[in-house]
Formats: sequence, C-alpha cells, structure tokens
Amino acid sequence: MKSMVRITIGILAVCGILFYIAHALNQSSGASGKKILTVYNWGEYIDPSLLKKFEKETGIHVIYETFDSNEAMMTKIEQGGTNYDIAIPSEYTIEQMKEKDLLLPIDHNKIMNLQNIDEDFLDLPFDKKNKYSIPYFWGTVGIVYNPKLLGKGYDFDNWNDLWDPSLKGKVVLVDSAREVMGVGLNSMGKSLNSTDSKELSAATDKLIKMAPNVKAIIGDEVTQLMINEDAAVALTWSGQAADMMFENEDLTYAVPSAGSNLWFDNMVIPRTSKNLDGAHKFINFMLNPENAAQNADYVGYSTPNKAAMKLLDPEVISDERYYPSKETRKNLHVYKNLGLEKIGEYNEYFLKFKMAIR
Amino acid sequence: MEKLSKTSKLYLTFVMVVLYAPIFFLIFYSFNSGGSMTNFKSFTLTHYKAIFEDDRLMVILINTIIVALLSALLSTVIGTLGAIGIKSIRNRKFRNTILSMNNVLIVSPDVIIGASFLILFTMVGIKLGFLSVLLAHIAFSIPIVVIMVLPKLNEMSNSLIDAAKDLGASKRDILTRVILPYIKPGIFAGFFMALTYSLDDFAVTFFVTGNGFSTLSVEIYSMARAGVSLTINALSGLVFFVTIILVLGYHFLTLRKTKGVRN
Repeated sequence: MKSMVRITIGILAVCGILFYIAHALNQSSGASGKKILTVYNWGEYIDPSLLKKFEKETGIHVIYETFDSNEAMMTKIEQGGTNYDIAIPSEYTIEQMKEKDLLLPIDHNKIMNLQNIDEDFLDLPFDKKNKYSIPYFWGTVGIVYNPKLLGKGYDFDNWNDLWDPSLKGKVVLVDSAREVMGVGLNSMGKSLNSTDSKELSAATDKLIKMAPNVKAIIGDEVTQLMINEDAAVALTWSGQAADMMFENEDLTYAVPSAGSNLWFDNMVIPRTSKNLDGAHKFINFMLNPENAAQNADYVGYSTPNKAAMKLLDPEVISDERYYPSKETRKNLHVYKNLGLEKIGEYNEYFLKFKMAIR
Repeated sequence: MEKLSKTSKLYLTFVMVVLYAPIFFLIFYSFNSGGSMTNFKSFTLTHYKAIFEDDRLMVILINTIIVALLSALLSTVIGTLGAIGIKSIRNRKFRNTILSMNNVLIVSPDVIIGASFLILFTMVGIKLGFLSVLLAHIAFSIPIVVIMVLPKLNEMSNSLIDAAKDLGASKRDILTRVILPYIKPGIFAGFFMALTYSLDDFAVTFFVTGNGFSTLSVEIYSMARAGVSLTINALSGLVFFVTIILVLGYHFLTLRKTKGVRN
C-alpha cells in the first residue's frame, strides 16, 4: 500500500513539473498577453516564424492547430465546443460553410492590405465581393511528368497528350471525380462545370479510351510514386507537384493551355470566433507583402498577393508552372457548386470510368 | 522450460522480424540527411533537433505525456474500486451483466465512443481541450483496468478476508492491508495498459481535441497529410523509445517483486 501511495505522489509530481514546463514553453513562444487568437490551418501550411512575428507585433497570443481535411475542419466548427478565430478552407468548402451559416462577414475597412491582392483572384463565384473569405494560396490542376522516363519531347500543353499510345501503363490519376472528369471535359473544349449530361457521358466515353494508359487511380500516394520514379506521368494539384519537384529534380509540371481548374485556400472567420478584432489583424498581417512573400517562400505554393510577388525570387515568379501566363489563366476556372444531384452524376460517371480500368 | 526446436526458433525469428522491421525502417530513416525515405545519404540528428526547437511540438509532446499519466492514474483508481465492487456483488446474473457491459465498452469501435463524447461534451458545455481529452481517456481506460484487475481478485481466496475479519480487522484495514497488496500486480498491469492506450489513441482523441490542444497521434496525422517529412520519423522514434522505457520499467518492477518473494 505504501509503495502505491508513493508511486501516485511521484506521478502527480512528474505531471506538475511537466505542466510547469509546458506553461513556460507557451509563455516563451508568445507574449503573455491575455488576448488569444486561435488559428486552424492545414498541416505545414504556414511559416511558424510568422506566428511569432505576429505575436510580437500585436501582443496577441496565437494558439495554432492543424487539420487534415476540409471535412474534418468543418465538422469541428459545426459541432461547437471550439473557438477558432481563423480557419483556412478550400473554396468549395466555403460555399458549404456559407450555406450552413458558419462564417462571419469580414470587415474590409480593417483589412488595409487587401489592395495587395491581385484583382483576378477577388470577387470569384464561390464568394462574391469576398464578403466571407480572403485568398491565402492558389494553384491549378495539371500534369506532373518525368522527361527522363518518357524519352522524346512531351510538353503536355494539350490534355489529349494523355491519350498518346506510347504512354501505355504510365499515367497515374488522382482519385477525385471532379478532377478526372474535368480532364475529359477540358480535352473536348467543354467547361469543367458542365451540367449537360450528354457532355458528361461523352467525356466519360473519351476517358475510357485512355484506360490502357492508366497505371493507377490513387490519393496522396501519388507523391511517393512520382518521386520514386515508379510512374512517369501524374494528374495532380500544383501544390503537390511542387512537393514532388522539390524531392526529385527530374520532374516537371505543366498546365495544358486549353484550360484547367483553379483552386483556392482562403482565410475565413468562423462563427465561433471570440476575438474578431484579432482575426482581422491576423488576416491583414498575412496580406502584408513582406509576410506573404516569406510565407510563399516557406510553403512553396503560389501567392495571390501581387505586392508580395515583387519581393519573391524573379525566377519563381516567371516560372509558368507556378504562375501561369495571363492567357492560360483566362482558361482556368474555379469549380462551381453544382448541387448534390449533379455531383452524384459526376461520381457515377467517374465510377464508370474506373470500372473500365484493369 | 523445454528447449525450442530449430523450426520453432526460425518461425519465432521470422515473426519478430516482420513485426519490428517497419518500426526500425522508420527509425533508421529518421537519421537520414537526405529529405526522403528513399535513399540514405548520411547520418544526421537535424530532424531530432527540429523537434526540440519547435516549441509547439514540445508542448504537444508534454501534453500527451501528462494526459497519459493522469488518465492512467485516475482510471486505475476508479477501475480497481470498480473491480472490487463487481467482485463483491452476490447476485451472479447481475454481476455478469455488469461485467458484459464493461466488456462492450472495450470492443465497441473508438470512432463511436469518440463521436458520442464529442456530442456529450458540447451538450454539457465543456470546452474542447485538456479537460475533454483527459475525461475521454479516463473513460475508455477504466474498462481495461477492470479487466486487468478482476482475474487477480478472482484468484484471491475468500478465506483470506474471513481470516482478517476474525482477527478483528476493520473494513478499511481489509481493503488496504489484504486486498490491495494481493492484487497489486493486476493494478500495475492495468496502469501500464491504460498508459499505453492513452499514449497511442487516435480515434477518440481526434474527436475531443480542439482550441489548440492536441496530442501527438492527432498531430502526426495532420502532419502526414502534407507529405512525408522525416520529422515524423524522428517523432515516432522518440515515442517508440519512451514506450520501450515504460516496458522496461514495468519489467523491472515485476522482476523485483518476484525476487522479493523468493528471498
């Protein structure tokens, strides 16, 4: 009995010490002010030193938490019990959050740095006049390929290159209905927001002709396959492509000029926010050209901040793989929310295509 | 003990290699100075340094340990008393019902337990964070402690208690001087089981973390999404190391105990 009491006291003492250390670490990592700002972001999606800088500048203590999917993030906010002041969802999730009334409008008078954002990225269909969201990073859907494994000169400026018989068993696709159906639609010069069942059916038929070239339809494992040179061509998002090219320098990325998808991650203020003023300050801080440039440099995604672009390495800015030319950008489109029924149809056609692959 | 035959030795080695190879593979690459898990360039400790320099990660690591220790301690106290209570129920049917209800909690999927905790906490108005995680961990650890302690209790002969009563022991004395010392190994086993359950739980914790409070398994999961960073390897290596220390600690505790008995 005595030994058990002793062990219990020992454990409590250890907990006390650990508590103290954690407390001290929390203090040293930020100003000890009473104001607290809780930021909910994707994993590895911000330069941590910017958070420290923000704390120093404003005296607001930042609590930073990460999520791994839009759906998980939305559930946490919807369920309540949390008080996130800033979240960074993708554009299609913002539409859903708006419908569920989970967002607070952003006061543009408090965001002086909004003028730094490229107008092309403002006032988009998913959030007219940017009432609820401010763009954080953006990117495209395109093709990563390994010229070393392919031999002769492919440039993938045209979606139809994916149908080339010489690519037999070499192409990897992301497991996502809108992206893959988008390839089919775009390759026929149709809109990737098409709601015409005839067009969708034709796109599926065309995709099925690509089946012999498809090696696999997978998720995040694409990255590893391409880095290890197990696959030569992959349909993926520009952000993932940047990660791959960082690991394997032979890889390169192309967005077919005929058109593709344009995606956004945006800063929003969830309804759960307890520090509205701090949230606005944070958004304004992230839009500061210097900070945005530092963040873009760290994360490696494309920034919508035109003032920040001037501060970035000119080599990166002129790289059309990350910052497509105006002409290409004209053909890039944001996914529209097509409604449950149409999305179901997309999924069904995608499934039909998947069945054709063996 | 009988000596193992060659084939059974070979089989044992094979199973052990299969079980441990992935872990060592992971830890091996945590020392890689190259950025990925594909080719080993040279030995480095930078990934470990990165962990210790990241204050947020350190706080999460410490939080994880605090939650594990506290939840294991509290659930051991509650679970042990619960086991003694179950044992003392005379009505056999009632006792078995309670025991089955205890077991249902162990086998039911973590996701359901986690989701129900989330709903409960938000309904009662407990803010998600340290308290919610601690409560959830205590709750799912209690049935495990009960299961670990009960066999020891069943093993104990009732005549021990009768003898103590005959010699004039009070109820309190019976508990602290007869029952608890006897079932001590079971209590320790329960404590360590609860500790490891709490350390590695993902599903339940995932639901009840929030407001900046996070544990290691949840954090590693959201890190892994952004691609394989070797920091994750280093972190997993550290966790594995801590687990080994715990197991060794348990081993020596029981070793000392059996030696003490022999002497």
